[in-house]
This record gives sequence, structure tokens and C-alpha cells, in this order.
Amino acid sequence: MIVHINHISQSKKPRNGKPSPQSEMAGLVTGSLMSLVEDGVLDAKMAPSLRIHLDWIQYKTNFRDPVMVRRTTSAQGQALPLAEIAIDLRQADATGLPIALARAVKSLDAGPQSNVENHLYLDEFRPYRDCLIWSFNRLFWRYLGDWENASGKGFEAALPGGSSDANHPQAVSDSVADFWTLLRDLETRGQLPAEIFGLEIGVGSGARAAAWLDRFKALDEQCGTNFYSRLHFILGDYSPTSLERAVAAVAHHGDHVSGVPLDALNPYKALTAHRFKIMYVHLTNVYDNLPFDDLVRRDGKLYLVEVRAYLNGPLVDQLTADFGVSRADLPGMVEKLLEGGPYAVFEGEKGVAFWRRVWDTFKLEERLRALDEREEDHVPPGLSRTHLEDLLAEAPDDVRFHISRGAGESFANTLPLLHPRGFLQVQDIFVSEMDDYRKGFRGPGKLDGSLVTWVNGALLRAVGARAGYDVHFAPFPYRPGTKTSILYTTQRD
Amino acid sequence: MTPPLPILPTTVIGSYSMPEWLERAKNEYLSRRLSKRDLDEMHDAVRKAALKDQETAGIDIVSDGEAQRDNMIDYFTERMPGVQVDLGSKRFYYDFYDSIVRSKLATGTLGLAEEARFLGRFSDHKSKISISGPHTLVKRIQNKFYDTEEAFAFDLGRVLNLELKELVRAGATDLQIDEPYYSGFPEDLPWAIKAINAMVDGVNANITLHVCYGNRYGKPSFEGSYKFLFPAILGAKINTVSMEFARRGEDDLQLFKEFNVPFNVGIGVIDVKTNEVESAGFVADRIRRALEVIPAERLVITPDCGLVRLHRDVAFGKLCAMVEGTKTVRKELGR
Repeated sequence: MIVHINHISQSKKPRNGKPSPQSEMAGLVTGSLMSLVEDGVLDAKMAPSLRIHLDWIQYKTNFRDPVMVRRTTSAQGQALPLAEIAIDLRQADATGLPIALARAVKSLDAGPQSNVENHLYLDEFRPYRDCLIWSFNRLFWRYLGDWENASGKGFEAALPGGSSDANHPQAVSDSVADFWTLLRDLETRGQLPAEIFGLEIGVGSGARAAAWLDRFKALDEQCGTNFYSRLHFILGDYSPTSLERAVAAVAHHGDHVSGVPLDALNPYKALTAHRFKIMYVHLTNVYDNLPFDDLVRRDGKLYLVEVRAYLNGPLVDQLTADFGVSRADLPGMVEKLLEGGPYAVFEGEKGVAFWRRVWDTFKLEERLRALDEREEDHVPPGLSRTHLEDLLAEAPDDVRFHISRGAGESFANTLPLLHPRGFLQVQDIFVSEMDDYRKGFRGPGKLDGSLVTWVNGALLRAVGARAGYDVHFAPFPYRPGTKTSILYTTQRD
Repeated sequence: MTPPLPILPTTVIGSYSMPEWLERAKNEYLSRRLSKRDLDEMHDAVRKAALKDQETAGIDIVSDGEAQRDNMIDYFTERMPGVQVDLGSKRFYYDFYDSIVRSKLATGTLGLAEEARFLGRFSDHKSKISISGPHTLVKRIQNKFYDTEEAFAFDLGRVLNLELKELVRAGATDLQIDEPYYSGFPEDLPWAIKAINAMVDGVNANITLHVCYGNRYGKPSFEGSYKFLFPAILGAKINTVSMEFARRGEDDLQLFKEFNVPFNVGIGVIDVKTNEVESAGFVADRIRRALEVIPAERLVITPDCGLVRLHRDVAFGKLCAMVEGTKTVRKELGR
């Protein structure tokens, strides 16, 4: 039996000689599995090829049940012998774990159609990029205000750190200083354009743009450089609520600011007239909320992770009871929710309450589908299979990693906006080296209403290289312990 | 014998669309998984196809499409006698090698004459060959010998002068010098133009000087106005200056009202940094606007820069539009 310990991290808390919760749970898993073999529950012939994955998912809530069976299929969907049992050591509880493991082992024999947990399936298996989490994500940003009213807190409070690193005053101040220095250098060389454009994609509450513009104006006045009078700052977002809120937050900058509705996947489409003109582009926590795929390499073979959306069996019963609906009606109601919004299902607050409960109950079952040699659907726009092969060449043999296709597409469609001397700065959670994928589960995690996943920085480096930019990653030094890092581009020679 | 050129002759800047499969093959060659012989065969096939596309589109002065060149630097530094190139310094063909000069450049040939012979053998059209200029090479080769960039550029001019003469002996009639780095270092212009003049001294060919804002990775390397070229460029011993206008707009055409240039002007009417294929009508409008400030007899019609970053169907479509737009204006001129 192959046990993969996917969480490799030194404990930050003093333990006084006691094992950490995760190491205790890991011990329980291996002990339970050995007992299952000894008791004949797990076939001794099957056990040597079984893979066990031990994760410690940083997001307290996520899309997985604590114990999950991952089967494999051929490219055409026929069952293959390889199977995995994945355990989230953080979610699992010591009392129920041996039973959950035994049930998972038994379900391996029962075949892919078994539904021992009585889950309510909402969809077929499909790649992460096409699964229902994106419909929920769109719903969240469309009805952001309604969700926040119901939860009683702003969405930034739902971020893992409780606030957005975007607004850190020193980070904003340093960003402004870097930009001002660039402008001064260009002016010294007589190469500063008459109009200076800045752009923020994914504007949040507008707090960062406001702080940035205030600081830029103050620095410009202090230095007497008169750059502010030439500055036009564009706020771009696809959520009307966010955009409206952000534009209001920077209203005191008058005509220096405009709001542009845009799709983060293709900012170029909305801003074609600004091709090669924008000196500064900033994004915070946008890429981690864009569609991705997961690839897995096992025994040299590449698999695409496919997921099937379901509502957790035991929780469905409570949900139907609380809302007075039948189990059979539920899939149709969820479809209605995702298409027409919460008020298409129930009037008033009950609609949002229903939405919130569905989200709490919502989970994803995974399977690994072998990739056909000729298949290219998982390759992000702007990249070719050879880029992925380059990534895999630098990746460890047994690995699960993201193809951050949304981030890659967004990045590739933002770079053509940059002025030759301009730069792009992204604050987000990046996996900057492929080897780091071995050291922990990188999402997706479930936030309050939306989702987050780490971004494959190595992939963005490949996208950048292709488009004429070197991509660098620097730690975010302003908040100790943060997982945020800063991506910035420099022109590639 | 090639037929005489029409009014408003059309030409390319040099490079044609690079097939993705050839990019992969070039990378394979760098990783020593493909032989030089196989790669050369592929290059020749693509060069012939590029010639055919240009001829079919109706281009008056064609190039070989430059598929054999990894980029506008390495092709020359690899061949330049006395420049040391670290052949292990790149994995992706389009990257630049690290190159360095540690002693005075030797006198010797770069072997570009093969391009002239290739063009003579496989096309009956008038053709041209592009060469990166001394200023551009100075900015990319690490200088560990010459006291100044200017001195280095002049010595490059000396070696390149011999090469241009070799090309003419091999049948080349039209030569183009590419200098995209002028736009980033306008302060170098006084000595950069002198280096050009050293390079073309005694060369019996039509010389074009192409000055753009860069096209590396399909994006500009610099921005600004062509104002910086004047009046220094008026001293260049060239027949044509070629500039980009399609992407940048035509404001700088007014410079030709202000300065009486003693040579022809090649105007970029095709934006090579977008996949959108211009209409022939759009091209014709651009030419008409140029005619307001430059006489037809002195106008040459070109894309903004090389087509290397465009897909073949896009590149071909753009050349067809350029030719059709030019024909429309020729008709209006009654020529």
C-alpha cells in the first residue's frame, strides 16, 4: 500500500512532547487500514496497489467529505483498477474515522455507481473548469449584497486572513512609490506618454484603489512632478455591485477615474483601445477565484481530475425538513437557484437562506480520467501541450497540480494592455515551483459563498515567457504569516 | 530579369509567419533531439512556402521569410567573426544567446550570401534581405573590448559593410538594415547614423533603413514619437526609410511636412501586433493619408514590421489586404 503524506510542514505550535493532531490522525489511518487487512475487509491482494492520500486542507470548509474514494477511468470513461482513498485529516474526527475508512474500502468493491452515503447528485462527472462551483461563484458575485446582508459581514471578512492584503497601507505606499519612480525615469528619458493609464482588475470594495490614488496624488504634490494631472485610473470588474461600490469609494478623484465592466478572463476585450498603453495593472485575489483544472500524474500516466457535484446525504435530510421541500424536488430547485438567483426559488430572505444552506451542503466527488494523448481541452488558451510538458518536466513524478487556466487566460489577455515599460502586479496565493505541489493540498477551498484556489505560478511564468515577460514572485512582507505573495512582471529581453 | 516596379511598390519587412511545429523543431534541435540537416530541410521548405505566399498575395519585393533565423540577433552573432556565443545559454529558440566580444572583430564573412542565392533560385520576383544594424547588435552583444559603444558600432559597420558587398556579389539588389533599438536610445542617434553610413559605404544596392518600436514577442519594446529621428536621419546614406504607422497612428507623418527627406519613405499600413486582418479599404485610407504629405513616387507600402508572430492565415490575409488596398490607390492615381 502506498501512503502519500501530502502535508509537509513543520508544526508552529509547541506540543510539549505530544504528537500533533495531524500526526495522530495519520497514525489512526494507517493503523485502521492495517486492521482492515487483518480482518479481511480490505483484500490483501488489492491492498498493495491501493494508494492512500493524507491531506491537511488549510481551508476549514472545502468541497470534500473527510474520506473520499477516487476511482480512475480510461479516457472514454471505463473503470480502471487504480483507486485512491483521500483523507482530509483536518476534517476527519478520530471516533468516526475507522468506520468511514471501512466504508470507503467496502465501496471500492461496490463499483462506481454505489451511493452508500445516500448523497443527492446534482450533475455528471466533469472537469473542474466546467463544474457547478463556477455557477455558484457567479451567483455569489451577482448577489453579493444579498449574501452579505444575510451573513452580516462583508466578503473580505470571509477571506482566510479575515481581511484583504490588498489594502495594507504600506503595500499600497510601496506600490505607489515604485510606480512614481518608473514615471520619473520615463520622463527623464523624454518617453513618458501624455496620458498615464493605471488599471485595477477586481476592485473589491474600492478601498485599495482609493488608498492608492490618495497616496499617488500626495506623493506627486510633494515632489511637484505633476503626474497626477495626466493620470487616468480604470477600475475593472464584472460584478456590478463591486464596481458601483468601488467607483463611489474613489469619487473624490473625479475624472481621473472610470469604472469599466469587464470579464477578468479577457480584460483586453473591454479595453482594446488601451492596447500597449497601460503603465500599471494591479490585481488582488482575482486569479484564485478563476476556473482551473487539476491534473494528476500516477506511475508516469497523466489524469484529469473530474468532479461530480452532490449534496451531502445526511445534510440533505435536514435541508429538506427545514425548507419543507422534497428530496426529489431539490435538484430542480438548485438549478433554478443557479439560473435565476435566490428569489427565483423562494421570496425574500428565505431565498438567500436556502442558497446559503445549499452551499453549506454542496460537495464534490472526484475521479481521475486518463488523458488521451491527443486531448487538448485542458490546455489553457495561449498555451500549447508543449508548455505543459515543460511544466511536467520540472514536476515530481507523483504529483497533483493545478492548470490555472482562468488565471493563465486572464494573464495572457492582460499583458497586451501593458505599455512596453509598464508592469503588472498581482497579489495572490501562488505555487511558484512545481515541486511545492508535493507539500500540501492547494485547494480549492470553500469560502463563505465563493471559492478560492492556489494559482500555478510556474504556469504563469510559461505564459509570460511566451508573451515577452519575465514573471517573478516575491513574498508579501507586510503581514507576517500571510500566504499571499506578489507576482510582478519585467520586460523579457 | 524582374519586371519594373509599379508606383507604390509593396514589400515586406522580412520575416513571415513562423509555424508552431517549426518552433517545436527548433527547440528540439537546441535539445539535440533533431539534427541540423533535418532542421535545415524544414527551414528551406518553410522559406519556399513563404515565398509562394508572398508571390500569391502579389507582393512586389519579396523576402525568404527568415524561418532560418531564430531571432534578429542570434543569426548574426553566431556568424560574426570574433563574437563568442554561449550555445548552451538558451532552451527556447526565440530567446537570445549570451554573446560577448573580447577582442577586435576579425574580418570575415557571415555567410549571408546563401540567402541571396536561395532567393535567386526560388523566386523570379524582386527580393530583399534584411540585416540587423550595428546599433541593434551593440545593444545585445556584451562589450568587453571596445572603449565605447560608438567604437564597437563602427567596427561592426566595417564587418557588415563587407557582408553587404558579398550579398551584392551574390545577386542581392535590395538590402534592409533593421534598427529597432533607436527608439529606446534616441540619444545614440548621431553616432548610430554614422555607423549606418560606414556599413553601406560603397555598397551598390537599394538600401532601406527600417526603424520601428520593436516587435519582439509581438509587442513593442518602446513607445514615443519619431520626432527623435530628425534631423539626424537626414544624413543617412540610404534610399528608403521604413517606419511603422499602422499600430501607432499617423500623427508622425506630419514630420515629413516639416522635414524634406532626401529618400523614399516606407510606410507601415499593416498592424503586425494584432490578429485582426485589415480590410483593403482600410489600407487604402492609410495610403491616401500618407499621400497627403509624401509624393506617390517616393512611397513604399509595407507592414509595420515582420510577420513572424502571426499565424500563417492571418499573415497571408494581411498581405493580400495590403496589396488590394495599394491597387485601389494606384487606380485612383491612374498608374
